[in-house]
Amino acid sequence: MAEGLIVRSLRDGSLPGEHAPALCLEDSLPSPLASHSHAVFRHLLASLLSTGTGTAVVLVAFHRSPSFYLSLLSPTFRNSIRLLDCYSDPLAWKSNHHPPPSSHSPQNITLLTNLNHLPHFLSSILHLAKDLGAQGHDRVTVAIDSVTHMLRHAPLPSVLQLLTNLRCHEKISSLFWLIHTDLHEPKVISSFEYISTMIASLQPIVQLPDYANANISASITSLEENYSNAKFNVRLKRRNGRVKLLCEELLIEQGSVKFSSVPSVSSVVAQNLIPKVQFNIQLSDKERMDRANVVLPFEHQGNGQNIEIYDGRRSLSESQKDPSSIKIGGLSEQKRGNNNKSEKGEIHYIRDSDDEQPDSDEDPDDDLDI
Amino acid sequence: MLEKGLRIAWQYKKYFGEQTAVDSHNRDKKQEFSSDFDLRKPLERQLLNSQNIECISTQDAFDLSKLQNHCLTFVSKLSMKDGINSNAGRIAIQSLCAPQCGYFEKDWDMLSFIRSLRATVQSSNAVAVITFPASVLSNSISKRWQHLADTLLSVRAIPDEDKDLAKLLTGYQDMLGFLHVHKVAQFNSQVPVILDASTYSLKLQKRKSLVLERLNQAPVEGSSGVSYATSGSCSSSKGSLLDF
Repeated sequence: MAEGLIVRSLRDGSLPGEHAPALCLEDSLPSPLASHSHAVFRHLLASLLSTGTGTAVVLVAFHRSPSFYLSLLSPTFRNSIRLLDCYSDPLAWKSNHHPPPSSHSPQNITLLTNLNHLPHFLSSILHLAKDLGAQGHDRVTVAIDSVTHMLRHAPLPSVLQLLTNLRCHEKISSLFWLIHTDLHEPKVISSFEYISTMIASLQPIVQLPDYANANISASITSLEENYSNAKFNVRLKRRNGRVKLLCEELLIEQGSVKFSSVPSVSSVVAQNLIPKVQFNIQLSDKERMDRANVVLPFEHQGNGQNIEIYDGRRSLSESQKDPSSIKIGGLSEQKRGNNNKSEKGEIHYIRDSDDEQPDSDEDPDDDLDI
Repeated sequence: MLEKGLRIAWQYKKYFGEQTAVDSHNRDKKQEFSSDFDLRKPLERQLLNSQNIECISTQDAFDLSKLQNHCLTFVSKLSMKDGINSNAGRIAIQSLCAPQCGYFEKDWDMLSFIRSLRATVQSSNAVAVITFPASVLSNSISKRWQHLADTLLSVRAIPDEDKDLAKLLTGYQDMLGFLHVHKVAQFNSQVPVILDASTYSLKLQKRKSLVLERLNQAPVEGSSGVSYATSGSCSSSKGSLLDF
């Protein structure tokens, strides 16, 4: 479900007056599948391209060479994708020493050699987007293979400004990027989360144990689960201002990515948001049963023990030896046919009605006819 | 509420509004505050270009000195009116520490700007409201920002389609989020401000007007509820001095 929501949001783009939806895909080292976060990236790319004829993608490749991406896609989709090659020679080191050969490069790959100059970078992306638009694709998505690489060459505010400018541009309908959370400070990650509308992160299913204290052999077998599964946490910012949290499981089998849903734990969030109430007005079932079992003082004859009325002057143990303390016979003694029965006082209480509640407001004196 | 229609998130706006002079005849009449916004309409550009409004952007600025000078000139123009303190100056800054700004990494510069703004505003007939995303600041700097505020509010998002919350809260469908009041301005008074409630729900009624409602819950004895740490999806605003 999470994957469907993400792909639909990226495909639909934005409403007029809104910035384009942006997905921030995060991974971190504790999940060994983090190295496969790239697989998730490619999976999303393929999903977007295959959803319909309208969607096209401008892929900014930093991490792998553009030919790698092209080899993954079937030929039908190669017309819907344009690649900006920031992998081969981003800082023009090669072209400074050896002039580029005049060999024919594939039509949909554009080489970028001056990554230092971000405005030029932005205009290259927009140029490719316009190119695709001219070919009849009305929705263009920009995919950036790892913003982490971008941050090597440019400061954080400039990168964020570039992404925000892309979001504002009329030709771009959606945007998604990959970021490695371990390589950046928390402030950087939260800044990227701030400008994105969807945040998806890959986390380990089993947390790494504390090796010093834990039982190592048991934990290693459970860690193996981390190699095949991961938790896929998604946080979506909806248009109505609310946030949707989803937690699913990710499986990678033979290079293909599968998502399966797991019952989400959302009740914790609700409890944290609302201020705690100091009273508990409801009765639990056990409390209700206990209340039914309480015998009211005037309904029995005592249970054979002394009634101890603590008057504050002496300790309880002393009063037990006091002969003047009240002793009341119990029902249990009556059943045994005790001869002392006649010496003890008895109180017979007959209720007006059995179903009258103990705390009813009826004043028994109302019956008097004076 | 005014920011809904704007596309660019880091635009700074200043509003200079004409307030009617309070003369002795009107002293008993209750001041009408304009709190009726139709949120379906976007804010028109012509409104921002009117005579009494100055609008500047620090999108491309690398430091806050230009903004600081602008605020100082604005406030000094206020005090030059003859005698009658009828016009209150309002300074509204949106997303002051937005990470797209060039000065985002200069934490201490931003703090000293806020301090100087506070001093400027306190010594003149003006108010300042600042919104900022607290999640992008480091903890210690965020605490310092919050400490500088006279009035501190925070907005928190609520989960969507949450059945438990729908059962607990009335009117969950209309709710946009929660508003927490952390601090209220208190000047020249030893009497503390005790609020009835510190958590309000933001509701959008008929998609038109924004309403703040106290959360419906059983009474909590005396205190104003549990205090919260600002969460990831928060933005806070602070203001000072006069109500308007």
